[in-house]
Amino acid sequence: MEYRHVPSVCTYCGVGCGLFLEVLDGQAVGTYPDPSHPVSEGHLCIKGWNAAGFVHHAGRLKTPLIRKEGVLVEASWDEALDLVARELKRIRDDAGPDALAFLCSAKATNEANYVLQKLARAVIGTNNVDHCARL
Amino acid sequence: MSLPSPTAQPAYQPKIIGFLCNWCSYAGADLAGTSRMQYPPNIRIVRVRCSGRVSAELVLKTFHEGADGILVLGCHIGDCHYIDGNHRTSKRIPMLRQLLDYAGIEPERLRLEWVSAAEGDRFARIVGEFTDQIRQIGPIKRVMVT
Amino acid sequence: MDQESLVQALRKAVQELMPQVDGVIALRRVGDAAAAHLYQPGDDLSDLTVAAQFPLPTSVRLIQARYPDKTFGVVVRGCDERQLIELAKRQQINLERLRLIGVACNAEQAQGCKCDLPFPSKLDFGEAVDGVPQDFLDEFLAKSRQERLEFWKHAFSKCLKCYGCRNICPECFCKQCVLEEGLWVKTGAVPPPFPMFHLIRAMHTIGKCIACGECERTCPADIPLTLLYKLLRRDVESVFGYHAGADPNEAPLMDSTIFLADMELLRPSQKG
Repeated sequence: MEYRHVPSVCTYCGVGCGLFLEVLDGQAVGTYPDPSHPVSEGHLCIKGWNAAGFVHHAGRLKTPLIRKEGVLVEASWDEALDLVARELKRIRDDAGPDALAFLCSAKATNEANYVLQKLARAVIGTNNVDHCARL
Repeated sequence: MSLPSPTAQPAYQPKIIGFLCNWCSYAGADLAGTSRMQYPPNIRIVRVRCSGRVSAELVLKTFHEGADGILVLGCHIGDCHYIDGNHRTSKRIPMLRQLLDYAGIEPERLRLEWVSAAEGDRFARIVGEFTDQIRQIGPIKRVMVT
Repeated sequence: MDQESLVQALRKAVQELMPQVDGVIALRRVGDAAAAHLYQPGDDLSDLTVAAQFPLPTSVRLIQARYPDKTFGVVVRGCDERQLIELAKRQQINLERLRLIGVACNAEQAQGCKCDLPFPSKLDFGEAVDGVPQDFLDEFLAKSRQERLEFWKHAFSKCLKCYGCRNICPECFCKQCVLEEGLWVKTGAVPPPFPMFHLIRAMHTIGKCIACGECERTCPADIPLTLLYKLLRRDVESVFGYHAGADPNEAPLMDSTIFLADMELLRPSQKG
């Protein structure tokens, strides 16, 4: 038997509302807004209220997937990252840096987004940098 | 002969929706009809099994869709075909009228009456009174946001 | 008795109760706030606490549903006790398998919740303080009908439709909520068109709401929900003599076979 609340942060957008994950016997079953959080002050939007829903979802990715002969197959991180690096270089060499675009994400930290745009500008050489919120 | 101006607004004709229970009040309305009793044609009658099935959301949606007045008619207490369905109505409708009042909507737009199958005359009189009252109060469009 | 001594005495009482039950449900310090926790025999109780917020009865219902044959101690405030009683009337809680320890809220906690009854009927710890006067109800009723309409249209126009009010309410347990049916509450429309959603919800709280205020505190749009629910609750008490959460043997108001004999008893409080 286990029932407890684990303090966490909503992953759905860049605001990062504070919430408690409601855990029953090892499963996240719901969320409760953290009243002491300086940003969210005890409020949640509809996504935050349902943020526990994906935690144990059957469709949740656990490993990278690579499409091989039209079918998505589980792969290791090394294999996936090697493929991405190889292909980015190939496309830049074949079609130029502006053939690539980089989309940052509200689910990532500011620091991760900074590194991504540095990769785009300094490493690849393109200004095609944008954000998932503008989709 | 003077024709009405094409740009003149038609006179306001209140839209009354009546939720009448199958066993008592609908039969009472039928009696009014077969007895050729006169009552205003503004009412559109919806037959329900019991006045107790007329939920708050049904009433609110009916106002939201443009009903200027809603009449809920059921069996007298003690005569409900489902024993105590109308007990629920007897609490729900008055509380809903209170809520309308607190929300700034005229509670007179919602009325609950008990009408038995033998009370055709009572039915006609209630509809006549209610239609006049709703004509006085004015259209619901003032208060609803679509 | 100051707050620290109260909590110490409470922890001791929970420790003493533990051998007689399968666990005790109480509030635990989580970060800078408090949330429900299931303490079990052998657990360290040093972070067991009291707080004004958190809808504890929802946790009790969840735990009892998972473990219907176990007996639990529950540390209850006034609001918790009354909500558990209303839930029990609707077969959502089994009171027979609960051992309640009643705790009163202090004046500061009561003020924070605008609570008019800050202690349970079974009071074991803390002193009962006076309820907070509910003057804001009559202040609202002084508004004209047009002013009231403008007030609520404005308030509800800020609604994000987060369903926070419904989610946090311990009395909301319906597996299929009418507020999620497109027939009543249009999908994809934010704010939900007046008066759908909020007036439906207000009607559904009648006879169940004990005005804990969690809904209003969690509303991101600062909609004064408890103003509306408390107005209705006051009518329920004065017209039907029904006090939500007072008597576990009393049938739930809106489903019971008592009826309002004089339908004109409720009169509109303001003309024009």
